[in-house]
Amino acid sequence: MQYNPTIGIETHVELKTNSKMFCRCKVVDTEEPNVSLCPTCLGLPGALPVPNKKAIEFITLLALSTNCKITKQGMFHRKNYFYPDLPKNYQISQFDLPVGINGSLKIVLNDQEAEVAIERVHMEEDTGKSTHMGTGRIDSATSTALDFNRSGVPLVEIVTKPVLKTSLEAVAYIEELRQLVLDLGISEGKLEKGNLRFDANISVANSESDVLGTKVEIKNMNSLRSLERAIDYEIERQIKALNNGEIIAQETRHWDEGKEVTKPMRSKEGSADYRYFSDPDIPNMVLDEEFVNIIKSKMPKLPYQKRLELMQTGLSIGEANILSKSNDWIVKLFHDVYSTTKNSSSTYNWITGELQGQMRKVEINELPSWFKADSLSEIINLIESNKISFSSGKVILAALLVKNVTPYDVAKEQNLFQENDSEKILQIVKNVITENSEVVVRIKNGEDKLIGFLVGLIIKSSGGSINPSIAKDLLSKELEE
Amino acid sequence: MRIENKSIREINSLFQKKEIKPSELYKQVFENTAQSESVLHAHLKLFEEDNLNKVKLSDERYIKNKSLGLLDGIPIAIKDNINLKGYETTCSSKMLSNYISPYSATVINKLDEQQVLYTGKTNLDEFAMGSSTENSAYGLTRNPWNTECVPGGSSGGSAASVAARSSIAALGSDTGGSIRQPASFCGLVGFKPTYGTVSRFGLIAFASSLDQIGPITKYVDDTRIIYHSIRGFDPKDATSVSDKPVIIPSNKTAKVGVIKELMEEGVSEDAKNEVEKIIKLLKAQGIEVIEVSLPLIKLAISIYYLIAPAECSANLARFDGVRYGLRADGKTSYEMMERTRAQGFGSEVKRRILLGTYALSAGYFDAYYGKALLARKKMIDEFNQIFKQVDYLISPTTPTQAFKAGEKTSNPLEMYMSDLCTIPANLAGLPSISIPTGLSKEKLPLGVQIISKALTDDSLLDFSEMIEKEVAFKEEPSDWIK
Ligand SMILES: [Zn+2]
Repeated sequence: MQYNPTIGIETHVELKTNSKMFCRCKVVDTEEPNVSLCPTCLGLPGALPVPNKKAIEFITLLALSTNCKITKQGMFHRKNYFYPDLPKNYQISQFDLPVGINGSLKIVLNDQEAEVAIERVHMEEDTGKSTHMGTGRIDSATSTALDFNRSGVPLVEIVTKPVLKTSLEAVAYIEELRQLVLDLGISEGKLEKGNLRFDANISVANSESDVLGTKVEIKNMNSLRSLERAIDYEIERQIKALNNGEIIAQETRHWDEGKEVTKPMRSKEGSADYRYFSDPDIPNMVLDEEFVNIIKSKMPKLPYQKRLELMQTGLSIGEANILSKSNDWIVKLFHDVYSTTKNSSSTYNWITGELQGQMRKVEINELPSWFKADSLSEIINLIESNKISFSSGKVILAALLVKNVTPYDVAKEQNLFQENDSEKILQIVKNVITENSEVVVRIKNGEDKLIGFLVGLIIKSSGGSINPSIAKDLLSKELEE
Repeated sequence: MRIENKSIREINSLFQKKEIKPSELYKQVFENTAQSESVLHAHLKLFEEDNLNKVKLSDERYIKNKSLGLLDGIPIAIKDNINLKGYETTCSSKMLSNYISPYSATVINKLDEQQVLYTGKTNLDEFAMGSSTENSAYGLTRNPWNTECVPGGSSGGSAASVAARSSIAALGSDTGGSIRQPASFCGLVGFKPTYGTVSRFGLIAFASSLDQIGPITKYVDDTRIIYHSIRGFDPKDATSVSDKPVIIPSNKTAKVGVIKELMEEGVSEDAKNEVEKIIKLLKAQGIEVIEVSLPLIKLAISIYYLIAPAECSANLARFDGVRYGLRADGKTSYEMMERTRAQGFGSEVKRRILLGTYALSAGYFDAYYGKALLARKKMIDEFNQIFKQVDYLISPTTPTQAFKAGEKTSNPLEMYMSDLCTIPANLAGLPSISIPTGLSKEKLPLGVQIISKALTDDSLLDFSEMIEKEVAFKEEPSDWIK
């Protein structure tokens, strides 16, 4: 039987505000526990939450950039559950009136543009961090260590509709979302730091049926790689189970990074009743037209817009996608270099290939201050106009990365300009033929590989400056006569 | 007149004229406390020794004519659900028996600007849940007028402290009548301001959408002075308001409505008679008094006992033994949390947490909490309509005079009924005051309640002061205290 998988992704994005969501504690990035705390984020008796305006601006930016409909009277709700790292034993979150609903995000999948439907974008506060000593599980730990630095840090949860079909699509979606929050300037976007955390809801259904299969939630995927593997594993697991006539349990499963399998978590969590109700400590958020217009005016260029611009230079969507997910300076360099070379393909290759490769080699992350886009344009133009060879271009680039010189100076100094004057080259060719008449005879007798030997001699006798392809052409012509 | 019987303005004037020093008044109130505290148990903690230096400095300021305001050197008691930095805030619960607050409530910071002398933390019903101060884990408080009776609640300790002259005034908190009802039971003025005009930051929440801090005093003017000192927008409280006060007529041109539904069955003859007395007095002044009807007021208790427990079920979830307060033993985190909550909370608190948890549960939300929210909105509409016709609403503060200790402890529903008249103002966020008007046959105080529309607190106080003058209630608690 054929089965179709359906995947939905819930992503938590940690916002990079200076202070926490409901208090003025700094958001800190440190291993030292419990250094950024106050009565509010520690849930002390009598403390109250006051929403962070910057965080609300940030989430509105995200909701608008994903084409969501903005809720005019957003509301904060209390999500009630007990956990030692949740100081109030309720989390301030949003329920039926989230900041944004019914949006979409354009992604690039298999070198084609695709769209992922977004269900909702809502705001909530992060919890603290528990470390369960001994077993790593709360119900069997010998003790639990708590760090509340993260408690109250603003989080945005962005939930897709169940519309994704493959693990690759899920990965492409997260890559796009990551780029979006970076371009919006609302998050550090570092997966390894947990700035973006994602859960996947996966079901498989009989391809002849209209009904979705039973949904299984997968948690604890910390990288794009584990997202991909976990989804693939889970789809396969469910298909196998269905083929064996088993029933899929609606449950939450945990991705075991080491063993590369999903394992069921305590089933208790699946049936939790969070008893949401509107938080009486916080008045409604007013996200009216005036506010939305102010936010809209702050909207930077979005990744898909960057892609479109790049594609207008002639790049393929795949190339444009790779560039659009590079650092800003790379995109800018591309546009600057392209504006003089007008050759998108060689500009793209030089920037994504040679330039970044050489930078890695000399271990620098950004271009030296003297390095100008014009210099790279010049190198490309010198090659395109046959004034230097491709390999000379690489030599020049290497020089530019270590000292403040112009490509012209390097070419001149290292004698990299090619001789393109056919008359002069022909003279040298003729000399070499005359001086090596024996070799010429052998070539005429069929020893073709000796042509290369003659070309080498020609270049050598010119001091290395002859354009080898012209030399080769002229040599062939002479030999035929 | 004994100094501690005078109004704050009079005391301040004596301080200014150097006829008496803050330290002398301070000594006097603690002498009063020494006489009564063992019987009344108004306080959970007394700060007599802690303030000696502060008192001296206050004396010096008056000598140098550099006092900090009307409340400089005035001894004021604080309900023990308001945080005072460096001191226990127990909420009369075992749960917080060892909890020391690392910060002060905004109201305390405001009073600190005038160097108020805090006499102590007063007893209350555990987490302010109750109407008699019998639900305290540290023992009940008795009514200074008759020690067989309760002082009311939940701010019963604050009311008893002021009535027994252990303090000149006290701060309480009012969620469904917890300031006004004990003030009425103890022959005092009790004021619940417009919701949002006084910061709740540092008040340990019972029901966040209903809680307000307010004063309990002997005179309306004392209430005004304290209210003016503690009110104001607080950036630490998102529900605090920055709106300007609204002025309405507070003289003979005022129009008064008597709430019909609070003059019917369920309210004692004594209580109704007090209202009738005031109506007569107002009419004699040429003030127009009409009967008005607010039918949904009859639902107020039902609405309240869904909304307040629902909010409290979440507000009190933080008491789990993890970070502070009581911690019971347990093999796992969850076992520890469960046992802590089982041991730490008293039965009334547990009853309300259960009630609220149930009302918010999936499948019951719409039928209970959701409906209560709708009814609350409709009741607010009714108030808005009525305030188009009248400036003030008048009713008894409590259906009965102070009842005997133990009389209602086994019947929670009957206990809940004692907030019948006071709850509507909390649900609608309106300013409401109780002023003492007379004594019952049993020599127990009775009071009337006046409600006005939001933000008209100043006018309400002016109007109440006018009535206060006319009534001239001069009685004092029983002789044994003197
Ligand atoms: Zn904080």
